[in-house]
Amino acid sequence: MPDEAADVVGDPWPVWPAGFAASPEDVRALLVLSGLRGLTPRRMLEVGVERGSAAATLAWVRAGKAGSENDRAFALTLDADEVAAAMRACGARFVPWNTPEYPEQLRAIHDPPAALFVAGAAFPDPTRAVAIVGARRCTALGREIAREVGRTLGLAGVTVVSGAARGIDAAAHEGALSADAPTIAVLGCGLDVAYPPDSRDLLRRVRSRGGTVLSEYPPGVPPDPWNFPARNRIVAGLCSATVVVEGGEGSGSMITAEHAMEFGRDVFAMPGAVTNPLAVVPLRLIREGATMIRGAEDLLEDLGLELVQEEIVQRVNLSDTERAVLGRLAGPTLPDRVASELRATVPEVVGVLMRLELRGFVRSVGGRYESTLKGRPQADARSSRSARGTPAGETRRTGMPARSSRLAAIDER
Amino acid sequence: MYGRVTGVTVVGVRGHLVTVESHVGRGLPSLTFTGQPGAAVQDARDRIRPAIESAKLEWPLRRVVVNLVPGNLRKEGPGLDLPVAMSVLAAMRQAPISKLPGWAFAGELSLEGSLVSTPGVLSVAIAAARAGLRGVVVPQPNAAEAALVDGLEVVGAPALAEVVGFFRGTWTPVPHPGSSDETQRSHAVDLSEIRGQAQARRALEVAAAGGHNILLIGSPGAGKTMLARRLPTILPTMSREEALEVTQLHSVAGLLEGGLVRERPFRSPHHTVSPAALLGGGSTHLRPGEVSLATHGVLFLDEFTEFRRDAVEGLRQPLEDGRVVVTRMAGTAEFPARFTLVAAANPCPCGYHGDTSRRCRCRDDRIGVYTAKLSGPLLDRVDIRLTVPRLTKQELLGQEPGEPSAPVRERVEEARARQRRRYVALGSFCNAQLPGPVARREARMSASAESLLAEAVDRHALTGRGFDRVLKVARTIADLAGSEHVEPDHVVEALAYRQTPSALEPEHAG
Repeated sequence: MPDEAADVVGDPWPVWPAGFAASPEDVRALLVLSGLRGLTPRRMLEVGVERGSAAATLAWVRAGKAGSENDRAFALTLDADEVAAAMRACGARFVPWNTPEYPEQLRAIHDPPAALFVAGAAFPDPTRAVAIVGARRCTALGREIAREVGRTLGLAGVTVVSGAARGIDAAAHEGALSADAPTIAVLGCGLDVAYPPDSRDLLRRVRSRGGTVLSEYPPGVPPDPWNFPARNRIVAGLCSATVVVEGGEGSGSMITAEHAMEFGRDVFAMPGAVTNPLAVVPLRLIREGATMIRGAEDLLEDLGLELVQEEIVQRVNLSDTERAVLGRLAGPTLPDRVASELRATVPEVVGVLMRLELRGFVRSVGGRYESTLKGRPQADARSSRSARGTPAGETRRTGMPARSSRLAAIDER
Repeated sequence: MYGRVTGVTVVGVRGHLVTVESHVGRGLPSLTFTGQPGAAVQDARDRIRPAIESAKLEWPLRRVVVNLVPGNLRKEGPGLDLPVAMSVLAAMRQAPISKLPGWAFAGELSLEGSLVSTPGVLSVAIAAARAGLRGVVVPQPNAAEAALVDGLEVVGAPALAEVVGFFRGTWTPVPHPGSSDETQRSHAVDLSEIRGQAQARRALEVAAAGGHNILLIGSPGAGKTMLARRLPTILPTMSREEALEVTQLHSVAGLLEGGLVRERPFRSPHHTVSPAALLGGGSTHLRPGEVSLATHGVLFLDEFTEFRRDAVEGLRQPLEDGRVVVTRMAGTAEFPARFTLVAAANPCPCGYHGDTSRRCRCRDDRIGVYTAKLSGPLLDRVDIRLTVPRLTKQELLGQEPGEPSAPVRERVEEARARQRRRYVALGSFCNAQLPGPVARREARMSASAESLLAEAVDRHALTGRGFDRVLKVARTIADLAGSEHVEPDHVVEALAYRQTPSALEPEHAG
């Protein structure tokens, strides 16, 4: 869509001038410009187009013609060498707009960052990146879904892109890392700022597994709340598809998904019960046309990738009682209720639930019990589908990730 | 002129005999105490003369010295009013001095000469009986309490005049009604009042049967307090020894009304409680704290995370040893403190983390700080942790009233009897009291139960302590089922009571 629009009306969005960061002096200016807080990327783009180069833009700011008064004062005192030294100290490199390393997908968005601070490996194939976003304070189920989607994508050779927040972000990374797949973490603060504090360990592992950590902010920039919506456009912009797992009213994942739609990328959403406050965003997205997925295999199918099936869920081995109890768990359910429906005692039911929990079919949430992904009804269907041609039971198969129709379609654009 | 009677001072819960001797000699009219009188005894100086005069007896207009023996013990409490008065009257020969030996006196006097209810009378009577005395003279309201001690004559007198009259042979005490141990215990609350919450009710039963401490986590309105309040109703009926101990503690604290306490105590101190009030203490007079008043009953700490850290840390000794040692300037006292701890907490500061129908409004880092308070050395002593869901209206409707307390208590008593028989040689009474290694030896697990538990260790990454807790709870469940061995079913149920609720799981790094 945006491309068609561009054809018809000309160029609705300015792009960085070709020579914007051409000279070393421009790169130095860009290091300073990236640290300005009052000059939004969009405004900088406008000024950049007008002035033609980063050095000229910086001079413009220093003259007080653009950016805030603070920016002017800051731009006058900030030394590019200091920024560069701080950047090197946290093992990062500077990737301006016009360098080959700058991800191609990101160039296509409305207000691409003029430069990125990048640590870790070079970007993997940008056309094979999928964002997984969602609530920080997610449910156990949401975390499990994000993990599974992350892991499945990782196994299929797709790069998982997300923030570094707790909850869905972290679970998505963990899932992909568990499949030994590299991931990309996009921060809303400087690369040397660990936010949230417990992300430090996650980011270290992302980098040690061949992944990439990046930010448009220079080192030392704090995680200001307004950085995150801007960060979300990079997450969406880097990927050919965005998956929203859980998100409540006012969640940042809505922003990411809106960016993705705006950029003409695919949006997938994992639904939840209409009463679930964390299903608000996914359900709204589905109504707005996002593709509903029930799990990682739906996503792979839609992306045209082959599911790399690791192990077939052993639901077949459940006893009749266990099956009956599992069948009563429509959402988080009280053991009392299961007991009265099955005419059993509560200790009996609790015993069965614990056996199921031991094997990962069930988890307890706040005194109630719910089925895990492994215990959900469609698991049967999944095992029969993916075990095509092989006897049901443990099948280990390594599928070759095939080129996806949708991913290919994006490639062709 | 010299007189001497026996009084009792109470240190902690123990009564110590005190010889109160008086000398009435020449000099300006005065009353002097020697022999470490505490503040309350000093108080008596101005109280005793009006009391004696109100009783139509004569106060000597001479110099009176009262000495309290032994001199190395600080005497506390108003209970020494009566022995001091009797000692002076004996010195004046207004009371027949030959008849006073063999009796211990205790009681606070009012200015009109009447004896008012005095704390610690049961401890006085126990000390008197232990010393082989013939009887005790106590205020009438405390007579029933003193009569709980066997082999002791109890004179419950309404006033000082009657006490003197008793020894002169002009007054006979009304025989107080014999102790009525057999009266039915009737609790104000019953387990049947709890609708739904079957898993929590069952957890209470298991806790009662094994003497396990329990942590209830749930959103406001889930019914944590209601559940805790009903735990005493399903604990076994107290033995006479236990009841006596509880009565003695409540007597010392001045909380006793009437005779023997038969209901297991339920104490729920507010979370602002000071360490001294929780554990016992006081600057001059050492009083039992809430932990001791909860002895043989339930100590309920609602809003557990809000309690002062020093107060909570102080709970470790009583939980380990079943007693608490209080040391103050005034001396050292040891109080029994063997209780079942019920701690209750919200899952997060706002209370709705993990709730299925309301959204939590807490900042992530605050949840971390909060849940950190729900672990630690103290909670290692809590065998059963349970999340209590807040029931929706729909879930509450159509719930039949639950089982009443009485049949549950019967099952609990059977399970306790089984444990007592098994541990008779170990000096323990219930599974919760067993040290870890002993529990592992005594659990008597079937082979299949053992392999199941081993699997759970792998799955849930149970720590050593967590393992012991599951083992003990499984043993209790087996005792409830009347099973000689711990079977897999018992283990799986026990695993349900170790659930750290999903809300409290440490977040994955990142």
